[in-house]
Amino acid sequence: MAGLQDANRIIRQSEKCSQYADILVPVFRALQSYRLRNLVESYLALKKLPTLLMENYSAFIQEFRNWESAWALEALCVIAYEIRILAERADKELASIGKTPEKLKGAGSFLMKVFGVLAGKGPKRVGALYVTCQLFKIYFKLGTVHLCRSVIRSIETARIFEFEEFPVRDKFTYMYYTGRLEVCNENFPAADHKLSYALTHCSPLKEANIRMILKYLIPVKLSIGILPWNLLLDKYNLTEYNNVVLALKRGDLRFLRHALEEHEDRFLRSGVYLVLEKLELQVYQRLIKKIYIIQKQKDPNKAHQIKFEVIVKALKWFEMDMDVDEVECIVSILIYKNLMKGYFAHE
Amino acid sequence: MADRRGQRQRHMITRNNSSSSSSFKSHRPSNPNTNAKITRTNKFATVNPDNNDNIDDPQDIPNLVGTCPFMCPVEERARRERLRDLAVFERLHGNPAKTSSTLAVKKFCRTISTNNVQASDVRPVTVLEDTLNYLLNLLKSDCHFEVVHDFIFDRTRSIRQDLTMQNVTSDQAIHMYERMVKFHIISHHRLPNCGSPNQIELHILFIRMKQNSIHIMCFSISVPDNQGESLSQWFRRVPFVIMKSKEMCFARRILRYFRLGNYKQFIYTTEAEASYLQYCIIEPYISEVRALALYCVNYGGYKLQPYPLTHLSNLLMMQESDLESLCIDCGLQTSTDGIGKVLLSTKLTDTCNPKRGYHKYYELVSERLERLSAELSEL
Repeated sequence: MAGLQDANRIIRQSEKCSQYADILVPVFRALQSYRLRNLVESYLALKKLPTLLMENYSAFIQEFRNWESAWALEALCVIAYEIRILAERADKELASIGKTPEKLKGAGSFLMKVFGVLAGKGPKRVGALYVTCQLFKIYFKLGTVHLCRSVIRSIETARIFEFEEFPVRDKFTYMYYTGRLEVCNENFPAADHKLSYALTHCSPLKEANIRMILKYLIPVKLSIGILPWNLLLDKYNLTEYNNVVLALKRGDLRFLRHALEEHEDRFLRSGVYLVLEKLELQVYQRLIKKIYIIQKQKDPNKAHQIKFEVIVKALKWFEMDMDVDEVECIVSILIYKNLMKGYFAHE
Repeated sequence: MADRRGQRQRHMITRNNSSSSSSFKSHRPSNPNTNAKITRTNKFATVNPDNNDNIDDPQDIPNLVGTCPFMCPVEERARRERLRDLAVFERLHGNPAKTSSTLAVKKFCRTISTNNVQASDVRPVTVLEDTLNYLLNLLKSDCHFEVVHDFIFDRTRSIRQDLTMQNVTSDQAIHMYERMVKFHIISHHRLPNCGSPNQIELHILFIRMKQNSIHIMCFSISVPDNQGESLSQWFRRVPFVIMKSKEMCFARRILRYFRLGNYKQFIYTTEAEASYLQYCIIEPYISEVRALALYCVNYGGYKLQPYPLTHLSNLLMMQESDLESLCIDCGLQTSTDGIGKVLLSTKLTDTCNPKRGYHKYYELVSERLERLSAELSEL
């Protein structure tokens, strides 16, 4: 403590440095409390820690706003990163002692302010995407993804700065997160575009990142009818999709349901469950196509007509009990949704 | 400036001391569910010297414990008598300026913080439960449903406010929340035109319930647009055990049929398995699914062999005459062949707007649901 107070005094006395007191004093205090945390592991110091850092950063942001050039941008990015990591740690600690974890939320609103400083015109704007990505990470962790919207709007509508001029690292992270949002909204063409962008800009050496992207890109591709090679699933350890793909290949509905149930928790957590569940229609489509191909081999002239009873029978082989009415319903949906060309006749 | 900083510094030291003496933790209830009975009073403030700093932390605000023994605080009762601000149900012998402790119920009033609230203005949980019983009993009165609804709507809102202010999360409180949600679901069903405030209130309730009750969570699944959050995002946060609960599995199955467009199973399963409350929530979607069925049949059906309405009305579980009306609502053409009415497969003309049609609801033909509706009296 004594050392810290000395430092404070020295900074204030030195004329040259006094203008930086607002920045430096809190830095020392933050360091002090960080050290205390390691020594005492006291909850109170930990709780105060992010607040102190926040104060420190606020002063910095204030200064940064006034500077015309973006010379300190890198430092600002470090702060944005640090504040998120510290808040995450603080929340973990808070949760473990039964307190409400709220620091990450606070970090979110703080970074929103930082974003405000960067999002305007001028050279600082190049850092906006980095802060955006940090915000995404916070919002996804907290489950408050609806907050992403305003940031995305700001990035995508402002024409002052071309998206392509942002650093590659940020562009790829941004596309990954917005792609994930599109998956949740089941906007597959947009999700496909964004996640594919992320994949092509991702370094082939970063296998963990590729895996994270594929985890969302695969369900999207499956939904638009593109199946991955087994080799790809194995290489990136995405084996949870193996049986889903197999179910599609076989046209086996029961197998699809089973595959989803097997990894239900995982799919729910990553937010792709509902997307995979909808593959049911693709399974029906593939099954009917198989029936058509088999019929064609037997009698090419009558292949274009498929009896509902035949589909009922095929489903029965897969131990799915459906009556003619339901099959008719499914076929009418497939036609209506353009997954199949044709018409049906009710007798 | 420097002085203030110095003070803060000292505070930090005292904080550390007090926490290392561990007297702090012993005052904290370990289980949040037991909060309701533990009062954190001023004693707590003396242990922790800078209690004021923690005002942003909701758990550190000492819990308020109400002491009002009546459904309505004495002061409010006198004030509203004076202002003749009494609801029909609160008037003693119909006198608009006279009420009694057994008639007056605390009105909802927006408050910004609990700082200025007197304990004597807040009712403890037992009184709140009695109040809720009294209110829901009013549903049995002969009064017009809309009038009773408005009264209960406001007064239950004030009950929830009292619960929130006291930070009660006990099983008793959860049960009360559940009963209030049921009231909202049923009144939303009976008063479809009562509009958005009700819907919003329902949303807020659901959000509060999400942490607490499996039952209610399953209802909320069919409420679209969870405050702008997609279902996938919501599912990420729901504990797995709850996802696998019986009610949730039912809700998810219905949801799957809805999302796939499996109109046959959607309607059959609802008819066969839904509880009355579940049905109340599903009902608005039934019209949507039926309209989808009509468009599918119209779009994919063979033109030379029109679809018989009798069969379709069985599938969609509605009267044939209602189905005919629905076809017209949706801008589709029907015709008569030798045996009965049929739905013609014609291309939709540009002039008719398919979205316009299906807002009108036609009864689901179901003896089971009719019986359930008749049985429902207790909330």
